[in-house]
Amino acid sequence: MAPVIEADGLGISFKRNRRRNRRLRDLLAGRAPAKRKKKGEFWALRDLSFSVEPGEAVGLVGGNGQGKSTLLKLIAGVLLPDEGRLRVHGGVAPLIEVTGGFVGDLTARDNILLTAGLHGLSKAQIAERFDAIVDFAEVRDFLDTPFRHFSSGMKVRLGFSVVTTLDEPVVLVDEVLAVGDRAFREKCYDRMGELLSGGRTLFLVSHNEADLRRFCTRGLYLSGGSLVSDGPLEDALTRYREDATRRRRPPRPTE
Amino acid sequence: MAIQVEPVPRLRILWGNRRVLQLLVSRDLKVKYADSVLGYFWTILEPLMMAGVYWFVFTQLMDRTLGQEPYIVFLLAAMLPWQWTNSSLRASMKALSKDSKLVRSTNLPREIWILRTVGSKFSEFFLAIPVLVFFAVVNSAELSWYVVFFPLAVLLQAVLLVGAGLALAPLAVLYGDVERLIRILTRLLFYFSPVIYGVSDVQDKLGGVVADLYILNPLAGIFDLYRTAFFPGEWAGWGAVGVSALISFAMLALGITVFRRLEGSVLKEI
Repeated sequence: MAPVIEADGLGISFKRNRRRNRRLRDLLAGRAPAKRKKKGEFWALRDLSFSVEPGEAVGLVGGNGQGKSTLLKLIAGVLLPDEGRLRVHGGVAPLIEVTGGFVGDLTARDNILLTAGLHGLSKAQIAERFDAIVDFAEVRDFLDTPFRHFSSGMKVRLGFSVVTTLDEPVVLVDEVLAVGDRAFREKCYDRMGELLSGGRTLFLVSHNEADLRRFCTRGLYLSGGSLVSDGPLEDALTRYREDATRRRRPPRPTE
Repeated sequence: MAIQVEPVPRLRILWGNRRVLQLLVSRDLKVKYADSVLGYFWTILEPLMMAGVYWFVFTQLMDRTLGQEPYIVFLLAAMLPWQWTNSSLRASMKALSKDSKLVRSTNLPREIWILRTVGSKFSEFFLAIPVLVFFAVVNSAELSWYVVFFPLAVLLQAVLLVGAGLALAPLAVLYGDVERLIRILTRLLFYFSPVIYGVSDVQDKLGGVVADLYILNPLAGIFDLYRTAFFPGEWAGWGAVGVSALISFAMLALGITVFRRLEGSVLKEI
């Protein structure tokens, strides 16, 4: 089967300082501005090459600021690489900033319709899944409450519920499991298990080794923006643990 | 090499997302009109007040030497499309930063946020047209058959505004000064556009090279085309419209290029 995700020499750079020293010349020049080596520029990810087959469950391992979230955002298509290629075949259901798509002033009902619509569900599909979304998120009694009055737990529940009902073949999960009470977390685990057994491809970022072991068979270990290890999850976890005890890395800005 | 999406598939993706665009525009209207009873009133208040002021100054305080009678209809016929221009340009500069969370959490073609902005402002413009109709009826202004060119004027203006928006949206995110600069320039543009006077006034009073240069402002031909619906005698002809069309499409090409080039950098900033 053809891989769902193919990365080849993938790289993205950020500016270290906040000053935006972009020049009009970059705009007019034939090549992309990021190719030029500039002072104060650092590569959050560089030379990443890997491919993921359909149905694989991949855990991303690494310390803070080592590029895990950036990689998920690249796969989700909300960041664009500065070098290399990334091909994602089929759509992505991003559980990154799950509450991002919601508008505080609109009611939960309107928000479900809007967000599901923005993620590409048709009116008929939304109508069909509406009850399931509401029941899973346990917000039946608050459908006409403005979203900004929701507790943070309710917000995440609703976000998780909407995004996991999408039909996209790739599911990206960034630390959302850390939020929510124990009961809801169990529901999330079950839902993710269902998605996996339904043949979805899963990308999971977590600092919780138990979560990773529960779902993932393969582990990518990112350190300093490079792919240090790619193989069985246990290998990645071992490398990560070794590195973490051997040295203390200076903190790096994430974005 | 960054991901290069060719223009044609890109257009196809945008077309595939037309329902999402419709959803966004109707949400904007909903937010605007749901919360306040005066929602509609707010949309028409500004053009109405500006038209009222100019009408008062030019017909009550001074003897009107510009434009045509009924002057309030003459004013509004260009003031409403001006309002669309002005609000679109301003909102385009915030199109990516205002809803940055939405932009960051959905994998839609990013051009959609500019189309949505111009579209929302267009729907406000469209909803304000009854005001023009009201004043036309009260002043018994006659509607000519030239009104059939209204859709053409809308199309040209939409092309122009989308082009300008595509260029301004990323520039405003990356360069803080762009917004301030554009605010000043739009104010100037108002006086350089045929709103309180007509294109034929420029031709009659200044003539020659100045009049030729004047129609390089793409809004000249467009506003003139709107106005022919009520004032066919004033119309400067297809020349100005042709120039507008040319410049509008050039602006669209420029906008697409700038947007494509800066998209990656903008996504890192918002």
